[in-house]
Amino acid sequence: MNNEFNKGRRKFIKSAFTVASALAIAKVAPTWATPQGRKFKDQVLTKDEIDLTIAKSPLLVGNKVGTPITINGQMPGPLIRLKEGQRAKLNVTNRLSEDTSIHWHGIILPENMDGVPGVSFEGIKPGRTYKYRYDVEQNGTYWYHSHSGLQEQLGHLGPLIIDPKDGDIGADREHTIILSDWTFEDPNDVFRNLKVAEGYYNYQKRTIFETFEDVRQHGLEKTWKQREMWGQMRMSPRDIADVTGSTYTYLMNGRDSAMNWSALFKPGEKVRLRIINGSAMSYFDVRIPGLEMTVVAADGQPVKPVSIDEFRIGVAETYDVIVQPKHNKAYTIFAESFDRSGYVRGTLTPEIGLEAEVPELRAVPERGMAAMGMGAMAMSGNKEEKGMMNMSGTDGHMNHEMMHKKELPVENIKIEHSEGGHGAAAAMIAMNPTSRLHEPGIGLDNVDHRVLVYSDLIGAQEWPDKREPERQIELHLTGNMERYMWSFDGKKYTEVDGPVQFRHGERLRLVMVNDTMMDHPIHLHGMWMELENGQYPRPRKHTISLKPSEKVSLLISADAPGSWAFHCHLLYHMKAGMFRVVNVA
Amino acid sequence: MYAKSLLFTTALLPAVAMAGHAEEGWPEPVKEYYTGQVLFDRLELTRTDEEENVAVWDMMAWYGGDYHRFVFKSEGENIQDDGESTDLESAELLYGYLMSPFWSFQAGVGTRGSLSSDASMENYAVVSFMGLAPYWFEMDNSLMVNEEGDVQFVSETEYEWQLTQTSYLQPRIEFTANLTDSDKYERQSGLSNLRVGLRYRHEISREFAPYIGVYWNGALGNTADEMKRMGEDTTETGVVLGARVWF
Repeated sequence: MNNEFNKGRRKFIKSAFTVASALAIAKVAPTWATPQGRKFKDQVLTKDEIDLTIAKSPLLVGNKVGTPITINGQMPGPLIRLKEGQRAKLNVTNRLSEDTSIHWHGIILPENMDGVPGVSFEGIKPGRTYKYRYDVEQNGTYWYHSHSGLQEQLGHLGPLIIDPKDGDIGADREHTIILSDWTFEDPNDVFRNLKVAEGYYNYQKRTIFETFEDVRQHGLEKTWKQREMWGQMRMSPRDIADVTGSTYTYLMNGRDSAMNWSALFKPGEKVRLRIINGSAMSYFDVRIPGLEMTVVAADGQPVKPVSIDEFRIGVAETYDVIVQPKHNKAYTIFAESFDRSGYVRGTLTPEIGLEAEVPELRAVPERGMAAMGMGAMAMSGNKEEKGMMNMSGTDGHMNHEMMHKKELPVENIKIEHSEGGHGAAAAMIAMNPTSRLHEPGIGLDNVDHRVLVYSDLIGAQEWPDKREPERQIELHLTGNMERYMWSFDGKKYTEVDGPVQFRHGERLRLVMVNDTMMDHPIHLHGMWMELENGQYPRPRKHTISLKPSEKVSLLISADAPGSWAFHCHLLYHMKAGMFRVVNVA
Repeated sequence: MYAKSLLFTTALLPAVAMAGHAEEGWPEPVKEYYTGQVLFDRLELTRTDEEENVAVWDMMAWYGGDYHRFVFKSEGENIQDDGESTDLESAELLYGYLMSPFWSFQAGVGTRGSLSSDASMENYAVVSFMGLAPYWFEMDNSLMVNEEGDVQFVSETEYEWQLTQTSYLQPRIEFTANLTDSDKYERQSGLSNLRVGLRYRHEISREFAPYIGVYWNGALGNTADEMKRMGEDTTETGVVLGARVWF
């Protein structure tokens, strides 16, 4: 077996040289993402003490040279492989001309090791080394990234895999796939463009000719009704991603679609794919046409196996899936940006050089559009409309009774909006927020295969804290697209007086309501969030994505004393102020 | 794992309760963001039905945060080759406050008049409501009071039909109403002026979008009557060629 893969590797190197892209291949990081996957260990950092050097260096991104922030010369950075039970010793040296940091995303660790400048430590000054030391008490698929400014957009990120104590990965082979979005623009310019020119990156707006077509197909009255709510709200149903494929090159392990990152398998092998969404702003819909995927972990934590054909991965989430390709042929790993403005593909193949058909990008989805269709999905669209249209009523109730049987705690929680509806910082409030955990999300309503939904996730084991929550904290996700203002409860980080206070040792229920029309991946540092999705054991998450007008509830054991960041993981939303500090004391 | 860490941390509670506060000298995790923009909504050459060529600008610049901004607005024109100086229709310096998600209130001072050395400028105080009305009507409504106590109201509304992802058809309507008569500036009370325009704009980039268009300008009410008495033409039409530019 080893021989065969060595042969594959030789062949790969040979072909790489012959296509005159030797330089390109050599300069394209990361080197850990070799086709052999786990079995090729040279570039995987597994030493007792790991040194990471942060620098800016020119690197080929797609077909152009960019200047990403590299870690040990690679972008994304090296795959760090730790073992449950060990003490992590990570020395991070800053060779940039500005401060930097590394946050170990999803890792339970002491406050001063969490890597958020201004919350957990001072940051790492240029020329200095910060020694991260913590005990690794968990296993699974995680990642790490800068928490300084907009550095994450420049590729300052990498995978962090923790092997379980017994070393069993539950498969014959594994590959790690980190998805990211790259722009050749300065991230500060991207942010300013979003701030001063609403819709700057959206080249999928509804045109007047589409309106004419809708009038022709559905009549004037129906079309007007559709347009009316959006017009009143001054929002666009095509406002799905703030930053799109118009500037982004989507990357899989640092390679674009043309470079076609490839991963080897032997027919019949069980292959574990550790998929990490390390994007700054992009949700992806991931599928491997022709292969069933069995989800075995979410956010690094094991879940009971769920077999699906496609899943949506929010920014900062991770999913582990097992695939078992039986045939001696190539399969496309297809990651499509959820606004359909672009994609990145890679190939799962028995032999280097093969590739499979690449699916077409699907049609641009529209928010609330499903209401014009038929069937169950029309209802979900309908609900979205209601949430936004301030039409509370009995229909919404009927919907979720029909669509999922279990009553979720959040459904009995009455949502109160603050007086004044969060002020000028919130362009809308969801008057009738609903639980949408059973919905696959915008653009996936009508696909003819199985799509993972949050309500499918069942924890593989019970979590130690079985207490009922003693207290409830409610936070609203708020935003104003016109000025690109993003906040919690209508207040940016710079406008709040103090942290969100958790009492040390308490069990609490966090209720979140999305009062915006965007999806937001909300990340809590330092503590797990158990998602109350009607399943038991509940799945544990470090990042939870909320759909527009959705309400969710999560259980948290406030067992980590100190200050922790809590924020939207869309990088520019965080920068705009959608950030809080949680203090556990 | 959890139980262990809970025990551990509970034992340490008095000690760690003090921890968890950012220390002095640490940077803010998220900072207030300030930026600005200079936008020439109209920068154009007009050819009137009187066969005059007129250079026109209509611009706004601002700097500030999400809620508070300094705003500078200016409009004016120069009739080419007529030997007359540039007509500054307005130059206003305002403070703007975002009072609701789509509307800002602005207040400040302005000046207008002929940009020649001998002309005296008309100075005024101004308040504006600027923002986005339902159904995406972009509006700027201003009320001005000059040193003589004359009150004038100007309202501008723009709308955009998206033709493609980079081209637009944009109707524009602007009207002026005088709430008082003004002897000094020869203004008659009532609705005085209406200007409607339509332009087709194509973005080379988001920042630079050339356009072509047409407009109709007409005097109304007492103002029109007065102009007729003086034997002046009360309406004007023209074509425009210009660009919408921001940086």
